[in-house]
Amino acid sequence: MPSGALLFQSIILGLLLGGLYALLAAGLTLYFGIMRVVMIAHSAFLILAAYLAWWTSTELGIDPLLSMVVTVPLFFAAGVLLQRGLLSRLRPVTLTMMSVLITFAIALMIEGLLGYAFSGTQRRIQLSYGTASLELFGARVAVVKLIAFGLAAVSLAGLYVLMKRTQFGWALRATIQHRDAARLVGIDTERTAGFGFGLGLATAAVGGTALSLDTTIYPSLHWHWIGPLMAIIVVGGLGSVAGAAAAALLLGLAQSLLQIPMGATWAQTVFYVALFATLAIRPQGFFGGRLAQRF
Amino acid sequence: MRSPARRTTWAVALSATLLLAACGGGDEEGQSSDDPIVVGISLPLTGDFSEPGKGVQEGYEAWAKTTNDKGGLLGRQVELKILDDQSNADRVVADYEQLIGSDQVDLVVGPFSTRLVVPSARVAQEYNMLFVEPAGAAAEVFNQGFKNLFYAAPAVADDHYNHLAEYLLALPAGQKPTTVAYAAMDDPFAQGTAYGLKKKLEAGGVKTVVDEVYPPNTTDFGSIAAKIASAKPDMVVGGSQYQDGVNLIVALQQLNYQPKLAAFSTAPTSPEFAKAIGNKTAGILSPTGYSQDAPYPSNKEFVEKFTAQFGKAPEEDQANGYTTGQVVAAAVEAAGCAEQGECQQKLIDWLHGNQVETVVGPLSWDATGKPQGAHMIQQWVGNDIKIVLPAEAKEADLVYPKPAW
Amino acid sequence: MPNASDATAAGLRAPGKWLPLGAAGLLIVAIAAFPSLAPNPYILSSGVIVLNWAVLATSWNFVGGFTGYISLGHGALAGLGGYATGLLITKAGIPSFVALLVAALLVAALAVPIGFAALRVRGASFVIVSIALVLILLLVFQSWSSVTGGSRGLVVPRPFPGMLRPEHHRVFFFLYGGLLLLALATWWLLDRSRFGLGLKAIREDEDKAESLGTPTFAYKLTVFVVSAAFTALAGGLYALWFGDLDPVFQFSVLTGSYIVLMALLGGVRNLYGPVLGAIVVGVALEYFKVEFGNSPLHLVTTGLLLGLVVMFMPDGVIPSLGGLVQRLRKGEQSSIREMTAADLAEQRKREREGASS
Repeated sequence: MPSGALLFQSIILGLLLGGLYALLAAGLTLYFGIMRVVMIAHSAFLILAAYLAWWTSTELGIDPLLSMVVTVPLFFAAGVLLQRGLLSRLRPVTLTMMSVLITFAIALMIEGLLGYAFSGTQRRIQLSYGTASLELFGARVAVVKLIAFGLAAVSLAGLYVLMKRTQFGWALRATIQHRDAARLVGIDTERTAGFGFGLGLATAAVGGTALSLDTTIYPSLHWHWIGPLMAIIVVGGLGSVAGAAAAALLLGLAQSLLQIPMGATWAQTVFYVALFATLAIRPQGFFGGRLAQRF
Repeated sequence: MRSPARRTTWAVALSATLLLAACGGGDEEGQSSDDPIVVGISLPLTGDFSEPGKGVQEGYEAWAKTTNDKGGLLGRQVELKILDDQSNADRVVADYEQLIGSDQVDLVVGPFSTRLVVPSARVAQEYNMLFVEPAGAAAEVFNQGFKNLFYAAPAVADDHYNHLAEYLLALPAGQKPTTVAYAAMDDPFAQGTAYGLKKKLEAGGVKTVVDEVYPPNTTDFGSIAAKIASAKPDMVVGGSQYQDGVNLIVALQQLNYQPKLAAFSTAPTSPEFAKAIGNKTAGILSPTGYSQDAPYPSNKEFVEKFTAQFGKAPEEDQANGYTTGQVVAAAVEAAGCAEQGECQQKLIDWLHGNQVETVVGPLSWDATGKPQGAHMIQQWVGNDIKIVLPAEAKEADLVYPKPAW
Repeated sequence: MPNASDATAAGLRAPGKWLPLGAAGLLIVAIAAFPSLAPNPYILSSGVIVLNWAVLATSWNFVGGFTGYISLGHGALAGLGGYATGLLITKAGIPSFVALLVAALLVAALAVPIGFAALRVRGASFVIVSIALVLILLLVFQSWSSVTGGSRGLVVPRPFPGMLRPEHHRVFFFLYGGLLLLALATWWLLDRSRFGLGLKAIREDEDKAESLGTPTFAYKLTVFVVSAAFTALAGGLYALWFGDLDPVFQFSVLTGSYIVLMALLGGVRNLYGPVLGAIVVGVALEYFKVEFGNSPLHLVTTGLLLGLVVMFMPDGVIPSLGGLVQRLRKGEQSSIREMTAADLAEQRKREREGASS
């Protein structure tokens, strides 16, 4: 039986990790909601943002968090371009399948370009506060992990407000719910869909910066993220943002707790077990998600 | 649909023919005594092992330059043909296949990392080639039954910590560490170093409280560090390569865990190590097979020439590459030949029966190609890493318990 | 009554019918002749690699070509076949080639639950599961080191101990050639069967096929299992040939993406499409490696090609180019048929006469 302190420590680490998962899964859910696209390249963009943060820190010598000033707008624009330029041009009949291949191809290209530019060597940002930690009821929480969680939480809250309280959020939700009807009431669904994609990719920029603070990065790392993320959106029910967030926290916590008895690697299998179980038992997901059945 | 189908069918036939035709290109080159001796090497210049791979490459290049400056081998110049295997086992085999079968190199020497040595040694074996290698230190390299393999370094992974184990077990009962945590990368070399020490300490009655193995691509060491810190062992041993060692140390420091002794393989001897962990290096131990100050005759020349060629002093990886070259050169000089065919067996036989003087000391091998020796132990003291064991080679005294990091 | 015009008519019909057989003959000749034409063992080993790709792409095409479901996880099935073969030899002491067959059966059995989870839902989930399969197997085979050898890899004993390398390559080249022909023959037979018809109905419109009484789920699952078995055979053969298995390379997402690229490039609706794709991509991979060495740009090129094919030529490059050539050559001719209606009527009339006499 693990000690209480270790258990508490793991719960905190799990929640911190779950927050990051939730933010990234929110992006994936947006894409799927808007046009039934499974965006494999999401985590490749995540790693790209992490590399840009690392580069900012190493080459320019400024705090990696500042890289977001550039990466967030840049990724938003890339998302809009991606949707307008590529995905909306695919044949509607085979859209879901072909969009997976297209985004998969983009992921490969990003991985290759990162490898070419920065080599396959593992990289890590060296921060003056990198080893600092706070004491919290007997558990130690690294400052960098708290910053990462804070970034994720703030962005998620911002996303929530944007979706629920603004004109654009209203249009976006309408587009997700019923595209034709949304067009009938005068929403420019094409433009909204493009912006929705940009928003989704912007979460990857924030997530990547948060990630870079406390992890080692290398070009093929994105495969270790896309698996858990896809599991999260399937378990949460494809297309449901709230479902994805709940699944993210739950699975993040489960992963962290399972690491105590099972070790780091085996604990990761919890995502895939959850994925297979969901598809075999309840393909529409456990938290709503009426779309999943047909995809 | 009929017509496109036919076209595809013909296209298959056509490209098969083209493939055949394209393959007819490689012709044999005539051998003469003025030709350079071509040494084929595959190294991980990109991918997981690119940093040490480049180090070994510099070692090989320094050896070739030094040899050629002195008139070459058997009066022939030495030419290196280096391919990049991306740290990938499929590629390393294809590389040696290409070097031996297609490029017809005269000699082959080894790649970096144990994981790549076994597949490539098999290629060499099945072409009846001598295979001296700079990096296959783990036990499984030597129980594959290879007859053509020689490891050009003082000791195999399991023996790296021998001097440290002796020192710790000789301490009086009150001072001897009683509990140890081990964390090792699932890599034959890295794990071999940690488990070699584990075996000896356990036999001496030191208790193992944590024993973690992590895959090479692990990036989050939070949970492993939490487990170690909560067990509060006297000593922590990391079977690490480079980045994983750095990550584990940082994660342990985040948890404010202060062991009496911390030993990590490979990582602490790297020039970037101190900066990577924010200079909190106090007292970290590491085994090393090479020292720039070692008194062996060829080492002085190596350090001088290498520094002149690359503008920096050689590290362990560079020395390993250079040593490999020295071993092959000794065999070639003694056997008086260097080409594919019967000559290779002469080289193999000579190495099995003789000792070679190198920059890491005199080397000799048992029938499996395993070298007979142990590594020195270094410790971070102040802003520098110094040899502390064995006593006859030490530059400073071992500090135990180590100061807080 | 046989006469000259009958022969002409037969000649008109013959290409479509006899060409696959003719091409098969040519393929057999090419496979038989290649090892003796290869100038050095390295070229021969590249030939083995290309044939391995050809078998993998053809096996993939059982699912991709018939049902339209795109799997990015076939690399994992091949890796599983390789590991199963290796483990059966080392742990259970079964002879090499028996182990290969048992391994293929085991993987086929395992494909049933995998297919059950993956095929219950449509497209996107299938692709997600196929990628997840690669990632989960990588995790399991890395972590379960007491059985699989973990990251240290698994050494598969040589099936022909003491055989020198060039001879070893030659034997495996023929083994792969045989496996390729077997896979092609199976695909050809399926293509002509009622079962194949049902599968193609799934590809065109799964809902309609289902409402017309096709047991779509059972059909999909069956063909997935057949595909898995062939893929596992290729993977197992690779393990015997190569000798060293490492989870990172056996369970690589890249393997699956090369397979998809090859199949899509050559055209998935055609018997020889994937083979052609495999030859083009496989030879290109080896060629670029020799000429330019390895670099991460391989990934970029693969991604770029895959993207271009998906965007502009989802039916395959060769069929698209063929279509283009045909349009250019036919010029103004508007009919899409190869024979005019009058020719067709004439031919049918002659057939009837021929049958009655």
